[in-house]
Amino acid sequence: MMVRDWLLRARALLSPRRAERDLNDELSFHLDRETQKLIEQGRSPEDARAMAQARFGSTTVAADECRDQRGTATVDNTIRDLTYAVRTIARAPLASFTIVATVGLGLGLVTVLFSVLNIFLFRVDHVPDINEMFAVERPRDANDEWQQFTRPQFDAMMRETSVFAGMYMELGDVDSRVDGRMMAITLLGGNAFQVLGVRAAMGRTLLASDDDRSAPQPVVVLSDKGWERRFGRDPNVVGRQIIVNGAPHEVVGVMPASFRGLNVGAPDLWAPLSSLAEFRPIHRGREDQAGIAIVGRLKPGLSAAAARAQLDAWDAQRSGATTRRDARIVLTPRRGTVPQPLEAMVLFAPLFFAFGLILMIGCANVANLLLARGVSRQREIGIRLSLGASRPRIVRQLLTESLLLALAAAAVGFVVSRVAIEGTLAAVLPTIPPDLGDISIMGFKADWRVGVFLIAGALVSTIFFALMPALHATRIDPVRTMRGELIKDAKPGRARTVLISLQVAASALLLICSAVFLRSALASATVDPGMRTADTVIVEIVNEPKRAAMIQSLASDPRIAMMAATWPDLLSLPRAAIVETPALKTTAAYKMVGPEYFAVLDIPIVRGRTFADHERAAPVVVLSETMARTLFPKSDAIGQVMQMEADPDSPTRRDDEPMLSSRSFTVVGISRDVAGFRITDTNDPGIFVPASTETPKTSVIVRVNGDPELARQHLLERLTIIDPNMGQILTMRTMARMERYFLNLAFWTTLVLGTLALTLTVSGLFSVLSYLVEQRTREIGVRMALGATSRHVTRLVLSQTAKPVGFGLFAGTGLAFALAILLIATPTAGVIGEVVHVTDPLAYAASIILIVAVCLLAAAVPAMRASRLDPMTTLRQE
Amino acid sequence: MPRATPDLLPGTLDLLILRTLQAEALHGWAISERIQQISEDVLRINQGSLYPALHRLEHQHWVEAEWAVSELGRRAKYYRLTAAGRRQLAVETREWQRMSHAIGRVMKLA
Repeated sequence: MMVRDWLLRARALLSPRRAERDLNDELSFHLDRETQKLIEQGRSPEDARAMAQARFGSTTVAADECRDQRGTATVDNTIRDLTYAVRTIARAPLASFTIVATVGLGLGLVTVLFSVLNIFLFRVDHVPDINEMFAVERPRDANDEWQQFTRPQFDAMMRETSVFAGMYMELGDVDSRVDGRMMAITLLGGNAFQVLGVRAAMGRTLLASDDDRSAPQPVVVLSDKGWERRFGRDPNVVGRQIIVNGAPHEVVGVMPASFRGLNVGAPDLWAPLSSLAEFRPIHRGREDQAGIAIVGRLKPGLSAAAARAQLDAWDAQRSGATTRRDARIVLTPRRGTVPQPLEAMVLFAPLFFAFGLILMIGCANVANLLLARGVSRQREIGIRLSLGASRPRIVRQLLTESLLLALAAAAVGFVVSRVAIEGTLAAVLPTIPPDLGDISIMGFKADWRVGVFLIAGALVSTIFFALMPALHATRIDPVRTMRGELIKDAKPGRARTVLISLQVAASALLLICSAVFLRSALASATVDPGMRTADTVIVEIVNEPKRAAMIQSLASDPRIAMMAATWPDLLSLPRAAIVETPALKTTAAYKMVGPEYFAVLDIPIVRGRTFADHERAAPVVVLSETMARTLFPKSDAIGQVMQMEADPDSPTRRDDEPMLSSRSFTVVGISRDVAGFRITDTNDPGIFVPASTETPKTSVIVRVNGDPELARQHLLERLTIIDPNMGQILTMRTMARMERYFLNLAFWTTLVLGTLALTLTVSGLFSVLSYLVEQRTREIGVRMALGATSRHVTRLVLSQTAKPVGFGLFAGTGLAFALAILLIATPTAGVIGEVVHVTDPLAYAASIILIVAVCLLAAAVPAMRASRLDPMTTLRQE
Repeated sequence: MPRATPDLLPGTLDLLILRTLQAEALHGWAISERIQQISEDVLRINQGSLYPALHRLEHQHWVEAEWAVSELGRRAKYYRLTAAGRRQLAVETREWQRMSHAIGRVMKLA
C-alpha cells in the first residue's frame, strides 16, 4: 500500500508531463462523451459542444482540484511558484535590485555580529568526543577569586579517583617574551595532547617525555596563530630554536587552526609544565605551589553530575583530613567556547538590537515598496483570483517571490559581512595604541553556522517585509479590478504610517546614541586627570632579583628626566587602610610613592612639603586636600599625627604587598586633589606614604625627554636585555586617551548605523510620499479645480508626513530615554554615568532637529510636485 | 434547460461513486450518467467535482484506475473498486442506512 502510494506520487513527480496528459485526456474524454450524447439527442455539434462545456464548468478549476488530490501538489505548486517568481523578478529588475540590496545590507550587518558571537559561543575545538572534556574547578571564594589546584592535588586526584579516562594539568596566560616579542603561552602536562587525542599539523605534539626537568632540550609546540605571528607560516619551522626568557627552546610541532587548546582564543605556543621556572621565575624551586587548572576526559557513559558527586566526595574526605573549609568541586565543560554563554549573549544583546534595527528599517522600506507594487499588481492578482486561484495560493505565490529575493539578499549579506569585518579590522587595528601590547585579533572566519544564520535571517526578514503586503494585495474584489478599476482605498495607509513611525523611531534611537557618545568623547577630551600625562611612562617591574639592575639602567638613561616609585601603579586599585585620628576612625585608600612622585606627575603641594630624600621609609604622610579636610576637619592637618594600619579585610589585599613601615604617621604636606582616569576607576587615593624604588613590588613612573612612544620603545629594548620577561611599559598619554578612544569607537559605530538608518528611512519616506502623490493626482487635481491653492496642497502632503514622523520621534526619544534610565539603574552606572552623559539634552535635541530637517527635505520634493500639478491636465488624463 | 441540480448531502458523493462502481469498472462520464439515470434525473453530479472526488478516492486506494479503450474507440480512464473500497462501501452504506432510517422516523413521528 505504502509502496503503491509512493509509486503514484513518484510517477506524478518524475513524469509530470505524463500525469498532466492523463488528466487532460480524462477531462476531455468526458467532454467529448457528453457532446456525443447531446448530438445523439439531435443537437448540432456546435450547440452540443457548448452545452457540454457549460455543464462541466471550468476545466481549469477541476484540473487544479484533481492535482491537489494527488499528494504532489505541494511540490508541483512550489515549482510553479518558483518559475513564476523568477519571471516576475526579471520583469521588475530595479525593484528587485532595491529589495536585495536593502535587505542584504541589513542581513550583512547582523551577520557581522553573529560571526563574532559564533566564535565565542558555537565554534568548538576539533577534539574527538569533545563533550567528554571538563575542567575541574572550585567555585569562587568570598573574595571572588578562583581557588586553584596544585600539582600534588592533581597527583592525588589522579591516584584516588576514577571518573576520568585521562586528565592533565594546565597553566594558562603565561605571557612571556619570545625572541623579544610578547606571546601568550600555555603550559601543559606532558600527557595533555594524548588525553585530547589531537595530532599536530606539522611535526609532533608534546609528549610525556618532554615534561621532565632533566630533558636535554626544552621544547615548545606552536599554535596556528603563533606560527603565523612569529614565523609568518614558514613551512620549515619545525626544528628551529626560539629564545624564551633567555633560554633556547626547540619548536617540535605546529597545531592545526582548528585546535585552540579548548580556549576561545588559542595561545601562541604550548610548552611542557616542567619549563615553568623559565617562564615564571617566581615559581623557581616552588613549582608545586603554582596554581594549575585540571582538565579531564570523563569515562565514556559517566554523566557529569555523577562525576562531580564522586569528586566532591573525594574532596570532602581529603579536606576532612586537612581541615579545609568549603570543599566543593564544579565541573565546567571545556570545548573552546565561552564558559558562560548566557553572559556573552547578554553582552551582545544591545549590539544585536542596534544592528538589527538597520535590518528592521530596511525591511520596513521593502514592505512599503511591496505595498505600492501590490496596488499596481491588483489587476494581475484580480485576474488570477477570478480564474479560481484561492487567496492562500496567491499569498504563497507572493511570499515565494519575496523569499527568493531574500535568499539573494542573504548572499549579498554574506559579502557585506565579510567586507565589513575585514574593513573594520583594517581600519581599527592601526588605531590601537601600540603600548597596549601586540594585540592579535583572530579572524572571524565564516563557517556553516554563519550560512545557517543567514538563511534563517532571510526567512525571518521575508515574514517581516512580505507577509503584510501580500495579505494586503490579495484583499481585493476581483470583479472591480477586472474592470480595470484600481482600488485606491485598500487601506494600506495605516500600515504605512506604522512602518514610517517605526523607521523614524529606530533612526532617532541610533542617532541619539551616537550624539551622546560624541558629546561624551568631546567632553572627555577636555577632562583634566589632574596630573602630567604628556611625557610620563609607567614601568612595571615583576622580577625582583632584576630590580636593582633595572633601576640602575633607568637612572643612567639620558632620556629619563625624573623617576619615582609607586605602589600600586596607576592602573591598579589602591590598598585600603584603617585610619585613626583624634577626630575619627575610618577606612581610606593609601598609596606608597617616592618623594619625586609629585614632581614627576606635576601634582602641586599646596601646603607643607613633600617627603625629603632621607624620608623614604620614615613615618610621614602627605594627604590630599580632601583627605586632609576629612581626617582633620577642625584643625590644620600639617604636623598632626595619625594612626594607620593596612586593612586586613580589604579586597585589594595581597600576600606579597609592601608593608607599612610604622603605625603612626606625621602629616608633612597637603597635595592638590587628583581626578585620575575615569575609565580605570582608580581615582587617586588621598594618603601617600613614602617609598623608594628599591621597595619590592613598586613600579616606576618616569618623566621622559621627547616623545613618550619613542621613549617607551627605547626603554623596552634596553630593559628586556636585563629581564627578557619583564612586565608592561605603558605611556600615560595612552591611558589618558583610552577613555576617549573607546567613546570614539562607540561614536563611530553608532554614527555609521545611525546614518544608514536615517538614509534608509528618508529614502523610504521619499518614495512613499512620491507614490502617494502620484496615486492622488486626480484627487489633488479636483481639489485645485475647486479652488485649493498650491499652499493647501503642500500642506496636505506635508501633513501626511507629520503624523508618522512625529510618532516615530516620540517613540524613539522615549526609548532612548528609557534605556538611559535603565542604564543608570544598573550597578555599572557608577563608571558609565560619569563618562557617558546618557541624558545629555543637547544630544537629544540635535538628533531630533536633524531628523525633522531631513524628513522635511524628503517630503518637500513630492509636496512641491503636487503643488505644481496643473488641474486641467490631471483631470483630462482620466 | 438543465434544472437546478439539488445539492447532494455532504459526504454522499463518495458513497454514490463507490456504490456505482460495485458491479463493474466505469469511466468518469459513465459514473455520472449511471447515477443520473438510476436516480431518475434527481441526482445530477456536479461534473467539476466528480473528478477531484475520483482522484481523492484513488489516492485513498478505495478505487484503482486503468486506461482502456472506450465505447468511443479511444482510451478512457476506468475506475474499479479495490478490496479496501468494498470495505469502505460497506461501512458507508451501513452509516447511510442508519441515518436515513433515523431521518425517516423523525419525519414520520415528530
